[in-house]
Amino acid sequence: MFDAIQHLLTQAQGAIFEAAIQPALFHLGLMDWAEDLFDGVEFALYGALAVAIAYALCRPLELWRPVERWEDRKAVRTDIVYTIIHRVGVVPAILFVILTPIGTMIDGYLRFKGYVPPEIEQLVTPLFNHPLVTFLVYMVVLDFGEYWRHRLQHRLPWWWALHSLHHDQRQMTLWSDDRNHILDDILAMVWSGTIAMLIGVPPGEFPLVLIGFRLVESLAHTNVRLSFGAVGSALLVGPQYHRVHHSIEHAEPPFDRTRGCNFAVILPIWDVIFGTWRRGADFPQTGVAALAGRAVRCGYLEHQLEGFRRLGAVMTHFLNRRRPGFIAAFSPNQPDAA
Amino acid sequence: MADRCPITDGVSFFLPVAVFVHLLRQFNRLVLGTSIAALFFGAAGAALASTAVVLDSDDDSLSVVTSDGYHEVSRAHVGRAPHHLIVSPDGRTLLIAMSEGNELVFIDRSTGIEKQRMAASDPYQIGFSPDGKWFVAASLRLDRIDIYDANNFQVVRRLPAPTMPSHIAFARDSSTVYVTLQGTSSLIAVDLASGKALWTAPIGPTPAGIVTRPTGTLLAGIMGSDYIAEIDPHDGHIIQKIHTGNGAHNFLASPDGKTLYVTNRVAGTISVLDADTLAITATLTAPGGPDDMALSPDGKELWVTDRWHASVGVIELTSGALKTIPVGRSPHGIFVY
Repeated sequence: MFDAIQHLLTQAQGAIFEAAIQPALFHLGLMDWAEDLFDGVEFALYGALAVAIAYALCRPLELWRPVERWEDRKAVRTDIVYTIIHRVGVVPAILFVILTPIGTMIDGYLRFKGYVPPEIEQLVTPLFNHPLVTFLVYMVVLDFGEYWRHRLQHRLPWWWALHSLHHDQRQMTLWSDDRNHILDDILAMVWSGTIAMLIGVPPGEFPLVLIGFRLVESLAHTNVRLSFGAVGSALLVGPQYHRVHHSIEHAEPPFDRTRGCNFAVILPIWDVIFGTWRRGADFPQTGVAALAGRAVRCGYLEHQLEGFRRLGAVMTHFLNRRRPGFIAAFSPNQPDAA
Repeated sequence: MADRCPITDGVSFFLPVAVFVHLLRQFNRLVLGTSIAALFFGAAGAALASTAVVLDSDDDSLSVVTSDGYHEVSRAHVGRAPHHLIVSPDGRTLLIAMSEGNELVFIDRSTGIEKQRMAASDPYQIGFSPDGKWFVAASLRLDRIDIYDANNFQVVRRLPAPTMPSHIAFARDSSTVYVTLQGTSSLIAVDLASGKALWTAPIGPTPAGIVTRPTGTLLAGIMGSDYIAEIDPHDGHIIQKIHTGNGAHNFLASPDGKTLYVTNRVAGTISVLDADTLAITATLTAPGGPDDMALSPDGKELWVTDRWHASVGVIELTSGALKTIPVGRSPHGIFVY
């Protein structure tokens, strides 16, 4: 069945590319972008499918047993915009255009020095004939990398200024996963690009499996009273597990980002190993206590500008040699109109 | 400077690791070689059937396809982003270049057994000079051309080639390699012995495939337009343009040298040219972004990879009838035997 689905998607990708993209590239004199845009169509297609599947599976859960009910869902609409422009490839395409030349320059320099990225299966050779297992091993390693990126997002004041955009949502839903500042997205790409230079890229033949991983991330943000239980919560990040990570209580004064918990993206094992796992069955309110009102209940562009403002505030505190306390740095007089 | 894996490029501290990795790789060669060989033997059906080896560049796999029933016999993981494959000068070995996998894989052409797998930095297009002395790899992504000693596959020259160095052709005397630069719409000529660029000349938007004619002039497919250009190998100036179709991309010469096939990627056609006069004698339908081509051993069928359709087209040359065989995503290089 998976082969049939993938075959259909591949045919759709080819049809869209041939009918709409390739003619445009040809007439605009941009045929050197053909293969990148062909991959871009695939990204958008699989991204749209991931959104559709997440909506089909997670939205009924939100209607069934919501943790919170809101009459005004304006803040959710902003997250829908975030999701669409991220997963169908608008933001990734912009980042690709910006970052690819830089990555190429660094990679090219390292190659000139004789450095060629290895692959995991060169060291664990039985993996060679099991690409799906190899792919999953890569996913585990990349998830490990994501855990530590997430830890740093909370640990470093300037990075938290950006990542707080993801956390300031008080109406967390299945759409909230992609609520990130564009600079934060750039850092994520740099992070994954660096890992790729260390261990190579995963095998490319499992795009449908990637949709499964994205589904886990959407489910983790879903507004549903659902826990995977004592055992399940140690195996896979779920709604209750991740909701605790988004808990507003972590943002109450005296705030200390380093006390955060449940940082894992897919596999909770990293929280277990590194002592950041918080057990429990509670479904706390989400958000950042010091951030409310228009700063968090605004449209996409305004929210992005808000991220720059928070970053600027942190940097100003840093330059003034003051300890970049979270609340003071961000918004001392933020009106709470939530 | 030799292009070596950092692990095996060892100072003494890393020597035990290097030895260990080497042994693991040898073990892997045996394991993977066996599996690919099984694909080849599995395809050996009807005595008169052609068998095609197709590289599915987005699926990291190698498909084996047969004309006996026109279907994909088997598919196996071969490495990250395999794009092109060529036959060694002695005809015994298939070389597969894995651009993202940073590897060259050497497969025994008759048995399908993998003979060697070696680290190589981002090999995209690859080619041997006619005298068999040089092996050249173009790195499309990293804007670079690597010249190897073909005897030991050590990099002897590495030069920047901005931007997007793509297809490769050699002077008939093996003195020079010509590489199309897709990003700068030009052609670069490089002296193989010194590794110095001789000249770079604009030849048209997004040039792709390039071949050397028996006369010594060059032909390049101008993918951003609708023509192939005949080019003077001494300075890169365009001698003439032959309009074949939108997205003129790649070439294949028939074994007798009388016919030249040109894929037109945007038009979805293949132009058939008289190799001497460059007159177009026929146009074949080949939808789906036709790319690399190969002829069946009896010369009656033209096989072509359809990049955008994840399929291989088999065109019966006398009638132009097209059969389509699904393979992995983004099939690129093809070899038929």
